[in-house]
Amino acid sequence: MISAKWRRRGRDAGLIVLGLTLLALAFAPSFQRADVVPQGREEVLFWHFWGGEDRQVVEQVVQRFNASQSRYVVRPVAMPGNNLDLKLFLAVTGGDPPDLINLDDPIVADWAHRGALMSLDELASAEELAELDRWLTPAARRLTHYDGRYYGMCNGLDVRALYYDVTALESLGLEPPRTIEQLDELAVRGFQADERGRPIRFGYLPDPRRLWNWGIVFGGDFYDESSHTLTLTDPKVAEALAWMTSYRDRFGARAIAAYRQGDQSLPGKSFPLLSGRYVAVMDGQWRVRDIAAFQAEQRRQGQKATEFGVLPLPRPPQGFDEAGAVNGNVFLVPRGARQSHGAWEFMKYWTGFGGHEQQAARTCVEGGWIPVSRQVSDTRLFQEYLSEQPLFAVFVELSQSDRQRPVPVIPGAPYLKREVEQLAADAMYQPYDESAMQLLELAQPRIQRQLEQARQ
Amino acid sequence: MSSTRRSMMTGMAFVSPWLVGFATLVVYPFLASLYWSFCRYDLLSPPEWIGTDNYQRLARELATGEGFGRALWNTAYFAALSVPLSIALGVGLATLLSNCSRGRSVYRTIFFIPSVVPVVAASILWMWLLDPNEGLANRVLGLLRLPQPLWFRGPSEGLAPPDWFDFGSKDALALMSIWGVGNFMIIYMAAIGDIPRSLYEAAQLDGAGPLRRFRHVTLPMLSPVIFFNFVMGLIQSVQAFTQVYIVSEGTGEPAGYSLLVSLHLFLSAFQDLDMGYASAMAWILFVVLAIATALLFRSTRHWVHYAGRR
Repeated sequence: MISAKWRRRGRDAGLIVLGLTLLALAFAPSFQRADVVPQGREEVLFWHFWGGEDRQVVEQVVQRFNASQSRYVVRPVAMPGNNLDLKLFLAVTGGDPPDLINLDDPIVADWAHRGALMSLDELASAEELAELDRWLTPAARRLTHYDGRYYGMCNGLDVRALYYDVTALESLGLEPPRTIEQLDELAVRGFQADERGRPIRFGYLPDPRRLWNWGIVFGGDFYDESSHTLTLTDPKVAEALAWMTSYRDRFGARAIAAYRQGDQSLPGKSFPLLSGRYVAVMDGQWRVRDIAAFQAEQRRQGQKATEFGVLPLPRPPQGFDEAGAVNGNVFLVPRGARQSHGAWEFMKYWTGFGGHEQQAARTCVEGGWIPVSRQVSDTRLFQEYLSEQPLFAVFVELSQSDRQRPVPVIPGAPYLKREVEQLAADAMYQPYDESAMQLLELAQPRIQRQLEQARQ
Repeated sequence: MSSTRRSMMTGMAFVSPWLVGFATLVVYPFLASLYWSFCRYDLLSPPEWIGTDNYQRLARELATGEGFGRALWNTAYFAALSVPLSIALGVGLATLLSNCSRGRSVYRTIFFIPSVVPVVAASILWMWLLDPNEGLANRVLGLLRLPQPLWFRGPSEGLAPPDWFDFGSKDALALMSIWGVGNFMIIYMAAIGDIPRSLYEAAQLDGAGPLRRFRHVTLPMLSPVIFFNFVMGLIQSVQAFTQVYIVSEGTGEPAGYSLLVSLHLFLSAFQDLDMGYASAMAWILFVVLAIATALLFRSTRHWVHYAGRR
């Protein structure tokens, strides 16, 4: 039996622990905040997804901004990995969103449509918005423009082009492909198999996820904004899909699928062009850094560095030059943000808008990112960088083309993107009897119905 | 206050934290999701009543085999493969180990260790093992001059026409599910240890060999545990999410062949912000699972023996 004395002591000890815990809980947030926010400044909470080297670049921009400010102080919170949109979603529905977020998912229209994002009309003056319209490249403008308003600001574009192995191409006696016919020839002549007939190198292989690019290159369009109609059955889109599936017919769905899995199994999912699995690959500007690191490693080992080139996506005779699908990183201010004006100031500082072009050029050089305005890419600092990075310069040039289009910025865009990519994967990996147009005709009404529902 | 009433109040006070959690985190979402399944709801704006529209969409997709129809078929195929496979392997291993006189604890530990490996790590490991080009599985099959499937990359169903034995993504997922068979095996081993020796001796005296003893003594005596694992395995396979998300990079690739209902539900709810449709899907899944479990319970009178009684 426990004596009354010990029971009393136990009770007292329990009360003391409880009291201390409550005190700690009550004061903990203020201790934390006092460390971060200087006196008289307002904190702007900024969520982003960058990790590794990119995170350091982000933190440097934040430091420069904080040093330049007397009113705001940005606190970056890195959330590398997937599903940042889901975290934002939960924060908004829970009533405690950050002041600013940066992500690269096509959610702008969905969120804006539901009133979960602040439009720039609420943050910027009419003059500023008119100037912004002129200042941004067409692709950057499209990425956050929905229903006549800007719902955020793009701060970096992701553009795709065709990388090729110069040495391999020369050994095949081919010129860098500028047309679809030349690309097809490269695909055929660049193909190699082992003694058991298994592919060990493809000249080129279309990726089903890139129907978005090829559809535009072939001269097609996926959506008619004036009538809010999906235009999957655009003959040019069908032509692009038919061209992609011609690779299935040529090499076999099975061989293609197996080979693609091999790309995914490369250590760290490294760029398959570097491992010699392809002669040419479509990919984004971030691979320039991988190539530079690869060549540096070759030189370090006393080998001759492999030479690589980049071209805009080859096109068919009726197609478009410098065309493709673009996506990018966008700054968004969730509704309910406490420091939305501080968020706007930081957005301008990062992107270079409003006289910050030099600082934006420095950020783009440090991160290897594509500017969202010609006024930033035309700065001396950035031009010097481009002269040292000829491969990257191709992407910057492409980013300014009016033919670089994002996945339509409409409610239901994530669904649309997923369905179109799945349709193309189906078409490439399945021995369908239906033509590309028939497959698109089958999908069109179903997807259109869901898009209409998302718009309601 | 009487002492009985006081004890009851004390008991209620002790369980109240759990009751509050249960009411707010289980009962409320459960009932709310039923209401939302009749609404257009994105969590950001108030739910709007739309009647049975979400269920009509599900019915349409079931009829055409797209969206939910495809996801439900994928889930059914995966469950039909993974549950029996886990049970057969679990019972087989438990029987072998129970008859193994030396090193039993070592083998038991070896078979159990994979169960404690996180699903994410296990998924990545299996992606390497089942890589169509460089994976260990296909290398061995290649040496044996056997067909080398595409596994996770394969848009095919190896146990359904017309793809017979051309194993694809769902077959690979089912194969991967045997990774956690150690859990089941431990339960079967405990149950086998509980079977009275006298039953085996009696069977032996009646001239039953090892196979007959297994068929007529071990299996009937294990049947309540097999039934339990069957129901639990069915529920687990319907809820399988992490491994599918990892191997298909959250897309249900290739070409939607690994889009299980759980992943389709997640994408609909949190990517498409279509919480009403996702709730309707969850309820259909709940009803399907409830019917399947009820049928299983009903079938127990034919094959489950409790202490010698059905």
